[in-house]
Amino acid sequence: MLLSTVRKFALSAALALGASQALAADITIRHAQGETKLAETPKKVVTFDLAALDTMDALGVPVAGVPKALMPDYLQKYVIGPVPKVGTLFEPDYEAIAELQPDLIIVTARSASKFKELSAIAPTVDLSVDGNDFLKQSEANIRTLAKVFNKESEANRLIEKLNSSTAELKQKTKNAGKGLLVLTTGGKMSTYGPGSRFGVLFSDYGMTPADATIKADNHGQPISYEYILEKNPDWLFVIDRDASIGNKGEAASKLLDNDIVRRTTAWQKGHVVYLDGLSLYVVGGGLTALQNTVDQLNTALAKP
Amino acid sequence: MRLTLALIALLCLGITSLFFGVSDISPLALLSGEADEKAVLVLLASRLPRTLALVLAGSGLAVCGTLMQMLARNRFVEPSTAGTVESASLGMLIALIISPNMPVMGKMAFAAGFALLGTALFLAILRRIPLRSVIMVPLVGLMLGGVIYSVAAFIAYRLNLMQSLAAFESGDFSSVLRGRYEILWLSLVMTIAAYVAADRFTLAGLGEEFATNLGLNYRRIMMLGLIIVSMVTACVVVTAGVIPFLGLIVPNVISMIMGDSLRRTLPWTAILGAGLVLACDIIGRIVVWPFEVPVGAVLGVLGSAFFLFLLFRRQSRAA
Repeated sequence: MLLSTVRKFALSAALALGASQALAADITIRHAQGETKLAETPKKVVTFDLAALDTMDALGVPVAGVPKALMPDYLQKYVIGPVPKVGTLFEPDYEAIAELQPDLIIVTARSASKFKELSAIAPTVDLSVDGNDFLKQSEANIRTLAKVFNKESEANRLIEKLNSSTAELKQKTKNAGKGLLVLTTGGKMSTYGPGSRFGVLFSDYGMTPADATIKADNHGQPISYEYILEKNPDWLFVIDRDASIGNKGEAASKLLDNDIVRRTTAWQKGHVVYLDGLSLYVVGGGLTALQNTVDQLNTALAKP
Repeated sequence: MRLTLALIALLCLGITSLFFGVSDISPLALLSGEADEKAVLVLLASRLPRTLALVLAGSGLAVCGTLMQMLARNRFVEPSTAGTVESASLGMLIALIISPNMPVMGKMAFAAGFALLGTALFLAILRRIPLRSVIMVPLVGLMLGGVIYSVAAFIAYRLNLMQSLAAFESGDFSSVLRGRYEILWLSLVMTIAAYVAADRFTLAGLGEEFATNLGLNYRRIMMLGLIIVSMVTACVVVTAGVIPFLGLIVPNVISMIMGDSLRRTLPWTAILGAGLVLACDIIGRIVVWPFEVPVGAVLGVLGSAFFLFLLFRRQSRAA
């Protein structure tokens, strides 16, 4: 009787101790859809967020499952490599995921609506970012991932490099004049301003928008060539949507090479920058993609 | 006389279209020769082509709608309710896959070829259906269009071309410029051809037996109609995209007012079609200035409201 009480006590004490130890190792991830607690460093990670994939790749963290998607060259190993495919950017393949028995699933805007279903399989985090504070949120996500995978010093080094490149870019944009961002698809054009999905160009990189009235709509505003001429930007930033998702389409340069656009300051000075759509549009806020975009802009804006 | 008035009204709309846009072009400065070079460039390279494209597309599609209603002998048939538009889109998509930078004539040939096959298939199915009730005909057309569209969507989905498919699905004249709309003149030629053969189409509308008894080569006129409809639809889809229901609204309005003698009604159909598309495009340019709302969207809203109004008005009169 006494013995059994002692035993019980010891057991509960041990349990309590074990629990508190586990708590000490707990990692709490605060994200767009709440908080998720992890007991230990996850080993098997499935990510639908290409930005997270990009960051994990840069930090040397292995990935257990990726969506079938178009990716930039430096991520091609996840397209043709042995890493299992677990659905598309929008549609998870639940069976394939369940089979992998992951420790962590990462979703983002394109897959955020599947958060609940995926949470039933494994702890899930939503690393969506919006256009308003894109760079800050992306950096926070990178730091979160670095913490989760114990890669903080490596991440710090890369973030520092990125921040110094970004600072250099901000110096250049200050005196670069006005910029207009145009996305082309299927022979039509739309423009994106501050606060939109590409708003980082204005809000974070400091480009002065040629039109400050563009509504912060995620799908951009349809425009005519006349609009480009009337706003007459000093720099024209072009995202060829058809090229960035992997088909050749009607090349944006061919579309823009016309009587009207040729008259703009940007065209005459050769200030038309075709942005790397895969980094900007498909991957977004990953460590390497961010560095690539900033590097590309730094090189382009170095032109007089 | 009344036709002259209608033409003047169309001209006014055309002039409004010429002088309304993102850039300021002052008609006075143009007339006095004081306009700057930029204004002249915008006028000649952007506004004039856009206005012409709107007129050509609008009149062509409205006339197409009339022809199809005669050929299918049903008031609810037009390129977008008979599989024609979907077939043309499928043709465009296939042209895009074969060679992304295909010249416009090539794309046009694909779109027109597919439109022709799709519309012919529609008419062939109609001939095989024993009960041709008024509602059945457009339903068959819509279903056929749905099947053809799903083929296009499947291909586009597999090849990551959904955005491109969506781009030519939505009618929009914002990227029309000098050098990029001229194919639409072909649509004018077709529209004129329709007018020349107007009497024959009127007869064909009375039915195969009746027309044959009157000495008409029914098959030949059927083929001519198909070619005209396919070419015009393809021209419009290639330059601007799909403009839905225009071919439904305009011919029905005209027929309610003036009856079915095409020789008399076709000019009105063409003018009303052109005017409606012009007006909708101008509205699309105004509402979110300096950005644009695609003309297809404006027409969808305004056109269907207008059509309902006419239907109800006619019913209350009859009652």
